[in-house]
Amino acid sequence: MVETGHFALVLAFALSLVQMLVPLVGARTGNQRLMAVGGPVTVTGFALTALSFAALASAYAGSDFSVASVWENSHSLQPMIYKITGTWGNHEGSMLLWVLILTFFGALVAVFGNNLPATLKANVLAVQGMIGAAFFLFILATSNPFTRLNPAPIEGRDLNPVLQDLGLAIHPPMLYLGYVGFSICFSFSVAALIEGRIDASWARWVRPWTLVAWMFLTGGIAMGSYWAYYELGWGGFWFWDPVENASFMPWLAGTALLHSAIVMEKRSALKIWTLLLAILTFSLSLLGTFLVRSGVLTSVHAFATDPARGVFILCILTLFIGGSLALFALRASRLTVGGLFHPISREGALVLNNLFLTTATATVLVGTLYPLALEALTGGKISVGAPFFDLTFGPLMLPLLAIVPFGPLLAWKRGDVIAASQRLMAAFALAIAAMLVTGLFIDGASVFAALGVGLAVWLVAGALTDLAVKSGVGSVAPAVMLRRFAGLPRSVFGTALAHLGLGLTMLGIVGTLCFGTEKILSMRPGETVELSGHTLRFEGLSPRKGPNFTEDRGRFLLISDGNEDGEITSAKRFYPVRQTVTTESGIRTLGLSQLYLSLGDENNDGSVVVRLWWKPLVTLIWGGGLVMMAGAAMSLLDRRLRVGAPARRRKPAAALASPT
Amino acid sequence: MLFWVIAAILTLGASLAVLLPLAGGMKGASPAGDHDLEVYRDQLSELDRDMARGLIQPGEAEEARAEIGRRILRLGTAERTVAANPGPSRSARLVASVAVLAVPLLSWGLYGVLGSPDLPSQPLAERLAKNPADSSVDELVARAEAHLAANPSDGKGWDILAPIYLRLQRFPDAVTAYRNAIRLDGDSAVRESGLGEAIASAAGGIVSADAQNAFEAALKLDPANAKANFYLAVGLAQEGKKADAVAAWQKMLGQLAPDSLWRSAVQQALSEAGEPAVASGTPANGPDAQQVEAARQMSPQDRQAMIETMVAGLDDRLKQNPHDEEGWMRLIRSYVVLGRADQAREALGRAVAAFGADSEQAKKFTAFAASLGVTATE
Amino acid sequence: MTRKQKRMSVILAGLAFLAAATGLTFYALGQKASYFYMPADLAAASVPPGQRIRLGGLVEKGTIVRGQGATVAFSVTDEQKSVKVTYTGILPDLFREEQGVITEGAFGPDGVFVADSVLAKHDERYMPKEVADGLKAKGVWQESTN
Repeated sequence: MVETGHFALVLAFALSLVQMLVPLVGARTGNQRLMAVGGPVTVTGFALTALSFAALASAYAGSDFSVASVWENSHSLQPMIYKITGTWGNHEGSMLLWVLILTFFGALVAVFGNNLPATLKANVLAVQGMIGAAFFLFILATSNPFTRLNPAPIEGRDLNPVLQDLGLAIHPPMLYLGYVGFSICFSFSVAALIEGRIDASWARWVRPWTLVAWMFLTGGIAMGSYWAYYELGWGGFWFWDPVENASFMPWLAGTALLHSAIVMEKRSALKIWTLLLAILTFSLSLLGTFLVRSGVLTSVHAFATDPARGVFILCILTLFIGGSLALFALRASRLTVGGLFHPISREGALVLNNLFLTTATATVLVGTLYPLALEALTGGKISVGAPFFDLTFGPLMLPLLAIVPFGPLLAWKRGDVIAASQRLMAAFALAIAAMLVTGLFIDGASVFAALGVGLAVWLVAGALTDLAVKSGVGSVAPAVMLRRFAGLPRSVFGTALAHLGLGLTMLGIVGTLCFGTEKILSMRPGETVELSGHTLRFEGLSPRKGPNFTEDRGRFLLISDGNEDGEITSAKRFYPVRQTVTTESGIRTLGLSQLYLSLGDENNDGSVVVRLWWKPLVTLIWGGGLVMMAGAAMSLLDRRLRVGAPARRRKPAAALASPT
Repeated sequence: MLFWVIAAILTLGASLAVLLPLAGGMKGASPAGDHDLEVYRDQLSELDRDMARGLIQPGEAEEARAEIGRRILRLGTAERTVAANPGPSRSARLVASVAVLAVPLLSWGLYGVLGSPDLPSQPLAERLAKNPADSSVDELVARAEAHLAANPSDGKGWDILAPIYLRLQRFPDAVTAYRNAIRLDGDSAVRESGLGEAIASAAGGIVSADAQNAFEAALKLDPANAKANFYLAVGLAQEGKKADAVAAWQKMLGQLAPDSLWRSAVQQALSEAGEPAVASGTPANGPDAQQVEAARQMSPQDRQAMIETMVAGLDDRLKQNPHDEEGWMRLIRSYVVLGRADQAREALGRAVAAFGADSEQAKKFTAFAASLGVTATE
Repeated sequence: MTRKQKRMSVILAGLAFLAAATGLTFYALGQKASYFYMPADLAAASVPPGQRIRLGGLVEKGTIVRGQGATVAFSVTDEQKSVKVTYTGILPDLFREEQGVITEGAFGPDGVFVADSVLAKHDERYMPKEVADGLKAKGVWQESTN
């Protein structure tokens, strides 16, 4: 079974070479047969990659330690769920997951792309094949997950304890679905450059793929943030760590792409810019893969560092980014420019959005790469952390958030800011009220906190206003209004939900940062502590044995209004195989807020260091992410994204089929 | 065999995926312009829907309709003349045949370099279920561990496993196993002294207070327990009470049976302490309690077989990983203890070769072997 | 406005954004980036009290003192010089004697480094990359070959 998987992987590589060359030649020479090869080869390549991945997963599930990567990253005593998720909890397996998703998306284009012009489809599949071939080669040459050990060891070295968590089951697959989803947009762009023309159906394809990728990337980032929040025991939800930035940059660029693709689809404008943005977004995904996988950064994500891998990925990176940008420089001038629009219009607002987002992406890029560049050039080491990003990213984001509610209310081509402002009066009043209430009635609220709450409410109310205006609230009878509301295109709901989610996330961030409280103290069993109106009693430490770890569990009793209100436990876990200690934080969700506590070291006098946080509205940070995902899903369901195949082709076929 | 059949089927499938479309009939493809037209039609109907819902004003809609209309018109003029299908040209045929051939050749060639087709899958459960006679020591231990994980109150099992852990140098596991055996089956001198040895070995040979307690418990049960006596003396030496330690060892020499395995250890300890190995006290007449205990638990053949299995396992490991200094010294000593001078000499030769004849380690090995009476064959 | 003028205005707006962002970035890099030092580098660098830096090295053996409550004092050394550090909070799980560590904070007026974060991220050898590179450069630590 293991070797079958290995063989399937090699075969998939061979097919990816065919996929990248034959349809391309076919499209250039206009040979239908050669172009037709693309589809079946792509689908077969996906089936083989899936077989290969299944073989690896079954080796992990069955603790087959004759496979080197299983031996290095698994243990027979691990719970089954972590044995399986361990398949991608390591460098080799995660790269296999990466190409699995890549070939899956390629297969989707092959199967559902019948309505695409034949040459466009052939070129898209060929570009997908190039990406696939590069990564298959990378896997086979430097990170083969099927390397065998003979004789096989009897026990494995265990999965990194930090990764023994449900988060590993969700975070990497989601993130990869996002990263790799942008590869389709990239392939469409490069295909358009190769052909030298942008078809109208191009925009219709790029937009749903951007939506899919963006949706998963949003989920992956939110999940990763929540995972870091509860697993690392530091109580933070975002650290501006280079590895986090690596996933955040494609998200920012992808958000810009999402918006510019609307303009392109609706108005055939901004074609060249959208194309460039698609290339840049996937390039940032590749850069993220490079930063995380090459070992230039040390983190949980850099499973093992091997210079050969770093150099290889750097070559892939240079080839694809350099190649696509060179092609862009050569061919972009041939593409026709699209429709005209007034600066004050929906298009204008979306262009402004793009300016903000791409500039913000650039600052994050600089903050992430500058320390690496400085070290490579001068040997000096600096760290660029939250203070840097607060000062650069923050000022760029705040005005963007402030103008978000205007965008959907402006008409295409030529908009009316005054009319839009009038419609937003209610939302604006609400935001001002929220700001005043926060500033005047909540103790210790800073000006910044009041502004933050106001901005968040402005976003939420603005999104709702959009829905209200479009269903005609205040101008038509309630029955008509309801009918209109139900009949609104799903993309309108999608936009509103995504903007609403953004507001909720903002509210969560402001709530946690500005109104959160924190205490560090050493506690003895029986002692109580109070934090923002919640009383906790430390009950003591008790040892417990898990399947592959032992832990000292600190039990805390939550006392609300004098009554016992359940226990919160936080533990120090010891994993003997890796000789590693991890902290399991104790979290209790109360409404939208959370009480978070984390156990420290035991002092000599028997007391234990405990760190407690009260995090108001913190769940909204990730809840907002879920709402954004729901918005993207809603947009995906919209009718207009389903493109019909040309009717002219069907008619002759039908005529032939019915004899006269 | 089955693997090759599967591989052949997969290759066939992959080749067909390339071949079939190439051999297939020509589909009439519509020019790209048709697709564009379809999109514009969709846009027009969407415009109508939006207007019906009152999402856009009639004026705006009219303007948009005009714009889409202009695009459709432009389509007609900009339509590229799609070249007539040139038919299967020679170059296309070349590309096609290269592609069809590349799949099997490349995959089998590359797999030949990378793969290990003869190595079967070895899921752990399957390995543990097979005949014990075919299993390695590691597999036997793993099987015992699996058994004990399922029946953690099997004191006898822990008792058997504990000394094996000790020999495999898995000291923390040995400590746990001894503790479990004592908890479940009661204490005995052998178990207590074994526990002490495991604790001391886990601490890198330091006889800690914990280890000391275990040895003392052993002596309470059997005052002549050689292991406990020996390690307690080591503990004394570590505390700096060298004279006391030497006295204790010398007393041991006097009491140990002439063929006791502990004799050489005690003599070595004394020589390291710089004292001649002189027995004190009255010589023992019969076999000592340690030996009685050992003999009762295990027949000599069994014991010999077990030691030999351990040594063979060590030898195998060193063949895999020859850069294990400690391992080589243990192997050489083991062969000397087993009385196999030839194999000891051969092991010394391999150890020296592994590190290079001029290396520090080689000198160390030679000196060590010489102290055991083994000299390298020149 | 003609098409050309419109395009110019978009490009100008883009340039304005870029200029603003560049200005902010340079300012922030100058003010907010913290430099990494090892104890022996500090003598030459003369870091004024209050300036945020990252200090990395090994936790010196036998120097960990747990004071009142949650405050811990220890020394960070590169085996040439060592610096006293105090930290209030929960130390990371991987914090141990003679292991690599990165602390971030600033020197107090008394010359004690007051850290507000302590990191012990590591690779397989329990060594943060910056610290490993620093120690290698000083010839204190050699990578084991096996």
